[in-house]
Amino acid sequence: MRRSKAMAAVVGVGMFALAACGGGGGDDDDPGVQDTFKEGGAAGSGKDPEAQGPAPEIEGAQEGGTITMLHPDPDAGPDSLDPTSGWSVTDNGILQNLVFRSLTTYRMDQETGEMVLVPDLATDLGQPNEDFTEWKFEIKDGIKWETGDPVTADDIAFGIKRSMDTKDLEGPGAQYSKEFFLGGDKYEGPYVSGEDFEGVQVDGNTITIKMAKPFPEMDYWGAFMAMGPVPSGPAGSPPQYGLKPLATGPYKVESFRPNSELVLVRNDQWDPATDAARHQYVDKWVMKFDQDPAASDELVMSGNEESKTTIVTQLQGSNYQTATQDMGDRVMVGSQACTSFWYPKYDKIKELEVRQALAFAYPYEDAWSAAGEIPGVTRTMGTNILPPGMAGREEYQPVEGEEIGRNPEKAKELLEAAGYGPGDYEIAWAYDASTPEGKAAMEQIKLGLEEAGFKTKPYPYSAGSLYDVWTDPDNPIYKKINVAGVAWCSDWPSGATFIPALFQSDQLYNTGGFSEASIDERIKAVTSMPLEDQPGEWNAIDQEIMTNYFPVVNTGYLNNLFAYGENIGNFTNDSAQGYPNLRDMYVVQ
Amino acid sequence: MTLPATEIGSHGPAEPELAPVENREVTGRSPLRIAFERLRRDPVAVVSFLIVLVFVLIAVFAGTIAKFFGVTTDTVSASSVLEFPSMLPKTGPPNHGFDSNHPFGIAPQSGEDNLATWLFGARTSLLIAAIATFAATFIGVVLGLIAGYAGGVWDRVISFVTDLFLTIPFLLAALAMAPIIADRFGTDPDRYAEVQFYGVIFILTAFGWMTMARLIRGEVLSIREREFVQAARVIGVPTRKILFREILPNLVAPIVVAVSLGLPAYVAAEAGLSYLGIGVTGRPSWGQTIDAATKWFNIYPLYLWQPVIGIVLLVVALNLLGDAIRDALDPKTRR
Repeated sequence: MRRSKAMAAVVGVGMFALAACGGGGGDDDDPGVQDTFKEGGAAGSGKDPEAQGPAPEIEGAQEGGTITMLHPDPDAGPDSLDPTSGWSVTDNGILQNLVFRSLTTYRMDQETGEMVLVPDLATDLGQPNEDFTEWKFEIKDGIKWETGDPVTADDIAFGIKRSMDTKDLEGPGAQYSKEFFLGGDKYEGPYVSGEDFEGVQVDGNTITIKMAKPFPEMDYWGAFMAMGPVPSGPAGSPPQYGLKPLATGPYKVESFRPNSELVLVRNDQWDPATDAARHQYVDKWVMKFDQDPAASDELVMSGNEESKTTIVTQLQGSNYQTATQDMGDRVMVGSQACTSFWYPKYDKIKELEVRQALAFAYPYEDAWSAAGEIPGVTRTMGTNILPPGMAGREEYQPVEGEEIGRNPEKAKELLEAAGYGPGDYEIAWAYDASTPEGKAAMEQIKLGLEEAGFKTKPYPYSAGSLYDVWTDPDNPIYKKINVAGVAWCSDWPSGATFIPALFQSDQLYNTGGFSEASIDERIKAVTSMPLEDQPGEWNAIDQEIMTNYFPVVNTGYLNNLFAYGENIGNFTNDSAQGYPNLRDMYVVQ
Repeated sequence: MTLPATEIGSHGPAEPELAPVENREVTGRSPLRIAFERLRRDPVAVVSFLIVLVFVLIAVFAGTIAKFFGVTTDTVSASSVLEFPSMLPKTGPPNHGFDSNHPFGIAPQSGEDNLATWLFGARTSLLIAAIATFAATFIGVVLGLIAGYAGGVWDRVISFVTDLFLTIPFLLAALAMAPIIADRFGTDPDRYAEVQFYGVIFILTAFGWMTMARLIRGEVLSIREREFVQAARVIGVPTRKILFREILPNLVAPIVVAVSLGLPAYVAAEAGLSYLGIGVTGRPSWGQTIDAATKWFNIYPLYLWQPVIGIVLLVVALNLLGDAIRDALDPKTRR
């Protein structure tokens, strides 16, 4: 999952979706939308352990120029550039691609648009032992810091150990390093527990990582910038390092104002021959955060000199019509690899039919629209738990004989089958009352559910994030609602980053409290299966959960709506990260 | 030092000319009656009054008017009236011609009827502004009277509290308090809208009474020393009677002026709070519409113009009426 800032950015937006709405029936036949999705490609289910630097040249690419990226509110960007704490879509999208190198990384296959996992600092994607409890990474020669000093295996090991630190550095390490590395439950990172750690050992050019339990997806975890070098000693100590970190990638930090602006310039110590994924076409990147949404849209649509090299990461729904008319292809939908859910409380809504009826009662498009999300564009309909692009994902129909979608008649039928007449069954949920959109979406849902034979009781909440209500049993509204929600994004295209967190018993973000012993066991068993069978198994679990238990209503997959100026060359969506692919972009001179 | 004779001469008041004596019947008219006569002859006042009256009628009969046009604020399924992915209405502006079923058009995103929202928004605006004005005036007058007449410790305490409230930045306090009130008292969803509504009135009142209190205190301080009050005290008239019979009637003019100028300020403040997302959400209001409509202005300007014109007309009319009332009651400031 991507929590913390990702939750602010992705889920902040997703919030409305949840408070609001679900998946929409679908402009799937809209050719424009469909095409851009194909362009977006799959979220990186492919791997290429043989990939060597330099990265293949992009056809027509030119050197030079400055690209400005505007991140509209509520995307406040990074408050620290520390590689160990980076976990949000925006932080990762910028820093992993331009500034920091890690054990592995993603490269876009220019033919298919797919994201492929390739070696980065390591010479290959790692050598696991048979049961995935030990991984060896051999480090390439010729990698340098921006100062010109060589990056050693010790530096990388220090960075990896740093990801174990959950006190000074909050980051994804808590979810993966702490969870899987041998001794991770006790080790608190080099600053607290010292540099001696049994889980990470260095021998010459080789780093050996030992696991407490099988971790077949270490190569994917290696693509996080937390799995990269950090200088040991005072030079790399938090929190100062987060303000002026040392780059290893093609760009280095020229200036940084937290949550406001980040300027990146060429790093002349970066050697393209060692890097299989990144390019250095652009001279300078100016990243602006927390921008006024209306002003950002105006700028990029104006077509003036400044707008030609500008990218907006989230276009407002209200400007969609104008922008698509004026800018055509330069408005692009990109998959975020996120799903938002309505999560009925498993102990309160016990009947399978009622949970299924909810999925047919939910007014997907109405609620999206009222929440300001464009049906079929920034929200798309789906039934799988896993969003498009995940490894092994195959479409299926969880309810026999009827496609999931708005269908009040079917909902009434199911309610009747469960023994409830129209108006008998009350659905109580919490919505975001602090915005007009949240309230408007609630009214659409209320109307939709009532038309489908439910009684409704929406609880307004305006004191903060809806996760306060969904995850905190002490919240006064927590006990009153019988439907919670959650929006989830994958960290890499495997069900392992998605299904356990949401559908295993007693997980924090299992907000509906779904608990089935058979599913728990099946989830646990996946990691010990042969690697090639795992994606299929995740899809099978996805299907089993939805077909047999139907614990969640999929209220839509989340998509970005990018817009970019006419002089931006090779603009593509990095569907592994849900962010524009900055590695291969250039400015047309 | 002496001044030139000419200068000295110019200093004295000119000798009043004796008015020719007329045999006209003298009728007694109260100052308020005179002021009313003046108001009636002031065209600006009459026009503003009519505009305000129209808005009041709209607010009172919003439901009836909406029914006459066949529109309601009931939620309609967004997909039934909107086109996707543009989220703009299927009928009416901006992409289609006038639709008599929805004279003001349909809101994008949510598909609400604009006319119904506008009518009930007028009701919300006026209701909140009127209640808040009344409450703030009441508190201000009471505290002003006490501070001005009792003096001493009372005066010092009340003046301190008044100054204290004046130092609190209104917007900051409102931003902090609105959600607290709503969530502290609004756990029951049925009462949430009500709590929010009175919460806004409370905030407006709590930060609106100070000017009135200061004004009244100052007036009382000067009236207290006037002969008729002194006389009443000497002959032993009870304090209550002095306050209500001697002083209060002399304060009617400043109170009326302050109220008439305060009302538009509250209308604007309420819209401002709604726009910032801390006003009412349980019922339609102009501020909310403005908030929703700003981002649509490029392709659907009419959507924003409706609430803006409503607020501007109402606030300007109320302000001009207030000015006219002040001029009528206080001839010294007559333009």
